[in-house]
Amino acid sequence: MAKQAPQDQVARAARRVVLIDGLPVVALGGVALALGSRPDQSAAQKAWWIAATGVFALAVAWVLLRAFRRADEYLRKIQLESMAIAFAVVLVALQVATVLDSAGVIRLHQLTQPILIGGMAIWLVTADLRTRFNR
Amino acid sequence: MKNRLRELRAARRWSQADLADRCQVSRQAINAIETERYDPSLPLAFTIADVFDRTIEEIFLPDRADTANAPGLPREGISED
Repeated sequence: MAKQAPQDQVARAARRVVLIDGLPVVALGGVALALGSRPDQSAAQKAWWIAATGVFALAVAWVLLRAFRRADEYLRKIQLESMAIAFAVVLVALQVATVLDSAGVIRLHQLTQPILIGGMAIWLVTADLRTRFNR
Repeated sequence: MKNRLRELRAARRWSQADLADRCQVSRQAINAIETERYDPSLPLAFTIADVFDRTIEEIFLPDRADTANAPGLPREGISED
């Protein structure tokens, strides 16, 4: 039991690193969302919005890559299953949003980014909870 | 897939963390294998076998009805001599 504590600290540190990586990316997604939500944008504002969205997409890929390279095969399985759950949620949410957009209830382009950010949040939280409780 | 990981680890007085360090995986992975929630890949199974200085067949046992001849399982009604 004495050697269990350092290993738990390593696991906690790994989770902390994922959060340290993931939280700024989620924040960047919020910034991209805010930049894109203004109507009647100038060309410069559109350029900032597109740049923020591009950096956000690259940052998501970077977080995914780092998480996978750090993980062993079991943690990779957990990450993949969490991503599958998040992907399914994003697909269903996008489908519902598309139907509501067709019905004129909402505007799809305003909801796309929140849905993607929500999917990423679901992935991070699911992976974290499964790693935390699978002891 | 059944395994004798807990038994072999207990015989050596290793914690899950000790075994995880030796196999270079997380403690969660060792725990999941021991509790049969996860079947390791072939490379990890070889690593575990190396760590215990056994063969894979002596550690991992197929989880099916026809395991009467699997090494490591007690053979009911079969004389060993």
